[in-house]
Amino acid sequence: MIKKIILASTLALFCGGFGFDNFARGNPTAEIVAAAKRFLATLDDAQRAKVVYDFKDDAQRKRWSNLPTRFVKRGGLRMGDLTKPQREAAMAAVAAALSAQGYEKVTQIVEADEVLKDDDHGGPRPGGPGGQAMFGRDEYYISFLGQPSATEPWMIQFGGHHLGINITFVGDRATLAPSHTGAQPAIYEIEGKTVRPLGRETDKALALLNSLDKAQRQQAILGFEMHDLVLGPGRDGQTIEPEGIKGSALTEKQREMLLDLASEWTGIMNDDVARIKMDDMKKHIDETWFAWSGPAEKGKAYFRIQGPTVFIEYAPQRLGGDVTKHIHTIYRDPENDYGAKWWKQ
Amino acid sequence: MVETVNRIFHCLPLLAAIASLPARAPAHQLDEYLQATLVAIEPGEIRLEINLTPGVAIADEVLGLIDRNRDGIISSEESAAYAELLKRDLIVRLDGRNVELKLAALNFPEPEEIRTGWGIIQLEYSVKPGALAAGPHKLTLENRHLPAMSVYLINAARPSSTSVQITGQTRDKNQSTGEIAFDFRPPRRPLIWLVAIVLFAGGILLYGGGGGWVFGRVLSQLASRSSAN
Repeated sequence: MIKKIILASTLALFCGGFGFDNFARGNPTAEIVAAAKRFLATLDDAQRAKVVYDFKDDAQRKRWSNLPTRFVKRGGLRMGDLTKPQREAAMAAVAAALSAQGYEKVTQIVEADEVLKDDDHGGPRPGGPGGQAMFGRDEYYISFLGQPSATEPWMIQFGGHHLGINITFVGDRATLAPSHTGAQPAIYEIEGKTVRPLGRETDKALALLNSLDKAQRQQAILGFEMHDLVLGPGRDGQTIEPEGIKGSALTEKQREMLLDLASEWTGIMNDDVARIKMDDMKKHIDETWFAWSGPAEKGKAYFRIQGPTVFIEYAPQRLGGDVTKHIHTIYRDPENDYGAKWWKQ
Repeated sequence: MVETVNRIFHCLPLLAAIASLPARAPAHQLDEYLQATLVAIEPGEIRLEINLTPGVAIADEVLGLIDRNRDGIISSEESAAYAELLKRDLIVRLDGRNVELKLAALNFPEPEEIRTGWGIIQLEYSVKPGALAAGPHKLTLENRHLPAMSVYLINAARPSSTSVQITGQTRDKNQSTGEIAFDFRPPRRPLIWLVAIVLFAGGILLYGGGGGWVFGRVLSQLASRSSAN
């Protein structure tokens, strides 16, 4: 019971404590920069040196994963090593960059890992690398590449197990690509309330599949099993041939459903950035593909959205048990991962 | 009786690994060996980029094939030998003919990491198909590596060259076998050919048949180089 109260209050603190009035704002970039600087101001020199990398540090840029931090070391500062005010300021910086819905998703993923830790007794394990814990909200890291700036390129990274948020800013432009969301357990309860961090994407995808007629389904459904993400973490710079049904073969209503499904990823970013991305996706909707592999059941199948400027995959993970409880997803921009086209010469 | 005891002792590491799993196992692909292959088809080269992830329950079995002397270290000889072992299990055919794979790159995590079920072994093989004729082609890949414990992914990478266009992909149900149909359209170089014809004709006029032959050879070399690019 006490555990549940702690979980609930943490979630409430996350969702309520970091000022979602940010989202009714005039100059989002300036406010994100200000929030990031407020966090940096709470740190001592040693911590600041540890959290800020050179913007050109490609090794750190790519240091994210679906795996727990015990196996893939993250850079930056560990949440569990921060004081309460520092931790609140860190989360406020993350919240400033995201939409209310996006931030809620991020915190629910973190809380799922806390649930996993409790179920797994995931405290320090003897013999493990560093003997550190594997799961839980303390095991998430924040880092910056470059100094937060309204004009110069910079990046904020927040992640750990099942989460790799990588946001690149170049002036008033920003991109979330590439980022990873996942959840285990993908369904859990706090105070009797069911939480599904990736619930909306799960439901919307099935609704889209169910809207397809027989001929459309034949195109959309891949005739083979998909066991994981194809372009997950570690597959930067790679693209695959699209498969499934093309946007041009969908009805207007189905295209809207496809865009709405994609918004579960594009909409993680703050409303201004998400709107620009959605307009871009609308322009390319005819060349955007939807593919499905697996049963027509909620959360049990793999699906993919692929267009010229978007690549999304959702892959339930087999545990020899219930695949709906463990999900990996990836969000990429084949033309502009890490915002490279804005800053790379 | 002795044999039974021996068998039990043989299985102890695996039993211990399974017993040490948490009650609600968080690892991915517990008892599966995920073999994910991206096939990159480019003019002049085909690459297989393979990520191998052994699940925690079978990691020791896979490690047994890699760390042959069981000293807890994956030496460069051992990693090369495993890459060779996998290569023998990969059947690649281009337009129905077997092609030879060459190891291009490899990266093995530490055994400790592989044992956790999170380690990813990365191997890259390349094929030099020689000059491809313009038109449709088919590449088939069959992965026969450790089928009893493996799950597979095979995908065509989007070609970086406009000369190659993927026209279709088919796989069997578990993706251990895949076929990629593609068109090769060598870039047209009308200007080079125009210059070649003019110089060939000029060579004949200036130096007779021998001059034309020399100019022709030089320019055909140039043209074949440019189409390979």
